[in-house]
Amino acid sequence: MRTGAILKELQEALLDGKKDEVEYLIERSLASGIPTSEILNQGLIVGMEKVGTLFKKNKFFIPEVLVAARAMNAGLAKLEPFLVKDKVEPKGLVVIGTVKGDLHDIGKNLVAMMLRGAGFKVLDLGNDVSAEKFVESARAHNASVVGLSALLTTTMIQMGNVVEALRDSGLSTPVIIGGAPVTQEYAEEIKAEGYAPDAASAVEEVRRLVKV
Amino acid sequence: MTSRELVERTLEFSRPQRIPRQMWLLAWATEHYPEKVTEIQRKFPDDIVTSLSFYKIPPRTFGDENSPGIFIDEWGCVFENRQRGIMGEVKEPLLREWKDVDKVRVPAERLSVDKDKVNDFCRRTDKFVIARSCVRPFEQLQFMRKPENLFVDLIEQPAEFFILLDRIHQFYKQELELWARTEVDALFFNDDWGSQNSLLVSPSLWRKIFKPLYKDYIDLAHLHGKYIFMHSDGQIMDILPDLIELGLDALNSQLFCMDIEELGKRFGGKITFWGEIDRQYLLPYGSSEEIIASVRKVKDSLYQDGGVIAQCEFGIGAKPENVYLVFETWNNFSNL
Repeated sequence: MRTGAILKELQEALLDGKKDEVEYLIERSLASGIPTSEILNQGLIVGMEKVGTLFKKNKFFIPEVLVAARAMNAGLAKLEPFLVKDKVEPKGLVVIGTVKGDLHDIGKNLVAMMLRGAGFKVLDLGNDVSAEKFVESARAHNASVVGLSALLTTTMIQMGNVVEALRDSGLSTPVIIGGAPVTQEYAEEIKAEGYAPDAASAVEEVRRLVKV
Repeated sequence: MTSRELVERTLEFSRPQRIPRQMWLLAWATEHYPEKVTEIQRKFPDDIVTSLSFYKIPPRTFGDENSPGIFIDEWGCVFENRQRGIMGEVKEPLLREWKDVDKVRVPAERLSVDKDKVNDFCRRTDKFVIARSCVRPFEQLQFMRKPENLFVDLIEQPAEFFILLDRIHQFYKQELELWARTEVDALFFNDDWGSQNSLLVSPSLWRKIFKPLYKDYIDLAHLHGKYIFMHSDGQIMDILPDLIELGLDALNSQLFCMDIEELGKRFGGKITFWGEIDRQYLLPYGSSEEIIASVRKVKDSLYQDGGVIAQCEFGIGAKPENVYLVFETWNNFSNL
């Protein structure tokens, strides 16, 4: 089978959330001699871009995105050792978490999955994360972007504290925020560099911030 | 005209003397603003109340649902909470493996409601009384499986998923049947179906799996001559025609996640909008002018000789003066 055909099949399997088929097609792609960077960029990443587009158009909903992301993770796990061997670098590292006092994390998890699917390395700090922890992790891992999530109007004010803590510690890492009560205006108010209303837009926004 | 008559006329689109009202109160508001809560309740008393539960055998729960720490609900689902005054989040699924599906225990204590006491409660008030039922199949499934797992279940649809869903549904029907045999005016169920911008699941999946359950609840209520009310958060425009088709009487939703004028054009006069006024921006941050304009917009878009209940939630982050202004504005607009 030709390279284009295998990768197209890989994208389709990803869209259908067929984990086993994605793993099989990664193996076949490798066996066919397709470069690992091409499998990643033209197979998994393009597939997840399609998932994101369908999600934004309300053709895909959370269940479809989750099964696609699960298939993508399985495929990525197969591909990872070969990416390391071939020195294929991630597009950047995003430190992500739900802010202090807030335990809601499904939105944040969706963003993390979509970012991984777009070729970023993601360090997920979980939920109820302090400003200090965001600063420490961003510094230790030389993060390209810090992503903050909040569901509650009372916890979203913590986002401003994280931005402030990052700047006070001398880090200029761009910050992107999201979550039900969050708006573009609020992002501007707390001087966050990015805002996304949904997981697919978050990927676009992170790409804009890291210029890839 | 009594509160009960006002609500009935609203539900029947037959020109109530004024728009009936109800403030939803979260524990957070009572703790932070007890005096303001009392003032609003005194000045703008609710026309709708929820019956007390009057359990003969209290459901088995652990902890306080609205306090920091651990809360275990009557099904055994474990919630973690960091904030006082709101509900926590499930972090570990009750049902991790499908092989344990038969171990899920229904909270039979919820069926021990003392109907005589409920009836006495209803007779002692002229307010419209809603049953204290806790019927929420989609949410309870999320609590049992954890949301991420449940969303995958909805795609994979293993046989055990339907066994679990059926067990929950049969229990809920028993619970609603019980309340339907009391003198309450309406039954109630709730599930949050919307995110900020869209449904959480596709309309087709919702129609296949959940719409038939809701049909049973709505039919059961009407068979017993009861109204039936529902709550769902989020943008749920796509399933509103289905809920109307099923005969739902009143819906509490986040109107401000949707196009309110479009809601009015498409669905005005077909279902009663049981609030609300936006609790994400307007109640915590909105100006007086914005609050007044929002109430006017809801009334102008949705009121059609009834079909509107003045409701908002005094919950986490809301400014008490804004909640007060919501009800004051509704009162001023109530000269119908």
